[in-house]
Amino acid sequence: MKFKIPIGPQHPALKEPLSLRMTLEGEIIKDVDIRLGYNHRGIEKLAEQKTYIQNIYLMERICGICSHSHTTCYVQGVEKLLGIEPPKRGLYIRTLIAELERVHSHLLWLGVAAHESGFDSFFMYTWRDREVVMDILEILTGNRVHYAINTIGGVRRDIGETERQKVLDSLDLLRKRTEYYTNLGTTEPSFVVRITGVGKLSPEKARDLCAVGPTARASGICIDVRKDDPYAAYDEVPFEVCTADTCDVLGRVVVRVKELLQSYNIIEYLLKNLPQGEVRVRAGRKVPPGEVVSRYEAPRGENIHYIKSNGSDKPERVKVRAPTLANYPAVVEMLKKGFIADIPLIFAAIDPCICCAERAFIVDTKTGQEGIVTMSALKEYAKKFYQARRFEKGVVQWPL
Amino acid sequence: MDEEKIIEQMRNCLGAKLLDASCPAQRRIFVKVNGADVTAAARCIRETVGITHVSTISGVDTVKAFELLYHFADNRVCLTLRAIISRSEPEIETVTDFFPGAILYEREIQDMLGIRIKNIPDPRPLVLPDDWPADNYPLRKDWVCTRPEKKIPGGKK
Repeated sequence: MKFKIPIGPQHPALKEPLSLRMTLEGEIIKDVDIRLGYNHRGIEKLAEQKTYIQNIYLMERICGICSHSHTTCYVQGVEKLLGIEPPKRGLYIRTLIAELERVHSHLLWLGVAAHESGFDSFFMYTWRDREVVMDILEILTGNRVHYAINTIGGVRRDIGETERQKVLDSLDLLRKRTEYYTNLGTTEPSFVVRITGVGKLSPEKARDLCAVGPTARASGICIDVRKDDPYAAYDEVPFEVCTADTCDVLGRVVVRVKELLQSYNIIEYLLKNLPQGEVRVRAGRKVPPGEVVSRYEAPRGENIHYIKSNGSDKPERVKVRAPTLANYPAVVEMLKKGFIADIPLIFAAIDPCICCAERAFIVDTKTGQEGIVTMSALKEYAKKFYQARRFEKGVVQWPL
Repeated sequence: MDEEKIIEQMRNCLGAKLLDASCPAQRRIFVKVNGADVTAAARCIRETVGITHVSTISGVDTVKAFELLYHFADNRVCLTLRAIISRSEPEIETVTDFFPGAILYEREIQDMLGIRIKNIPDPRPLVLPDDWPADNYPLRKDWVCTRPEKKIPGGKK
């Protein structure tokens, strides 16, 4: 008997609400159909009617978590069109905020992954420690979410000595906590067993479907815009690209935990080697005709903006592609042949978390009966499903 | 240099089909072909140059014509393939044979610019609502947003 389960489109906690229609045979997902556009705000059209300065704040509002990603990607494109180079100190501060954003995004994600696998104390720990990063961001920029620190030609605020010391002090705590999480993950068999082998994405498929970011890196594909196409201060900062070869949710956890530790090193390097001088240069209002492709490694993967100027103070065309869109074809692949109980976990693994979605809609195609199932009921079902299956302790090794 | 090598490879592979090739900045390549030659160019990029990742496809309405910019990337360069499409016959062949990951971008182009993608595996609308009026393509320059008049049922005339 085949079932169809539509999931979405209304998920208050999703960055992008989307609708998924899953065709099931028993417990196994046979096919997934994706439908987007429920949150299409026409930003690309709107950007053509706003000035370059106004567009910074428009781009910031594309996403509530990687807001700095979009503004950086946009302003570094406009700077190239204008032919101006921001001062070193400005670029360092820009990179610093970018890494802090990555830390808060990965900690948030780690909590979501733990929550979806039924390890709620882990979730509470990571989200508590995420507050440390949020506080740092507030100290440095004045805001917790939309930092509004980028401007064309540099950044809008400088960092003082007290703030610098404060961030360095908090870094010790964050490092200690992240090492503890690494330990917790390695010694917690139920957690490791729950996420091993779930949401398989082979390296070939990841490459063909053009997956980006931690999703691709967890399938052993070594792509990272920070290394491949260095922007801001990344060509001066030593760091490693983190990959895993397990190709499942476990790999995605490993990649993100490793990236957290790398980010702390980057932040420390940036703060210890912060150059002196100005943080911004003045930029003209009008941009000479031209076009530019700007790339950025957001916490979720490659973010790309294409900007075309026509000589006026408004762009001719701004094209934005956020990393989540690039990962959708890969998610469809991951969900196929998976269990219905793994839907929340697999979805959470690429980072547009479905977990707080209020309800799913179940249709019995044979009888045509429809019923509403809350997302929490689906999660409860997932827990029971896995409790009923036996797992051998200590078989799976944490590959960190 | 990788950039020059890749441009040379594309020149050898495409010959006269390659209308223009430039390298405006480090790690950035722009090549230009006619819309009809996009399959040959995609094959060349995948098989000869060896780039497997398509970042996105940007559609631009230049009023005279449409331009589709396919942004390919790997750890060497970010290669942008510009395909020129006439406004009178807005259609182009799909590149999903070589880049399966381009499917969502092609569907988005169909919705937003009204360029028909020939032989696309899944031609359904992606981003526009189900009740969107036909022949309305928001990213075309001659399309202006008009808000529907607010009607309150039983309200004042």
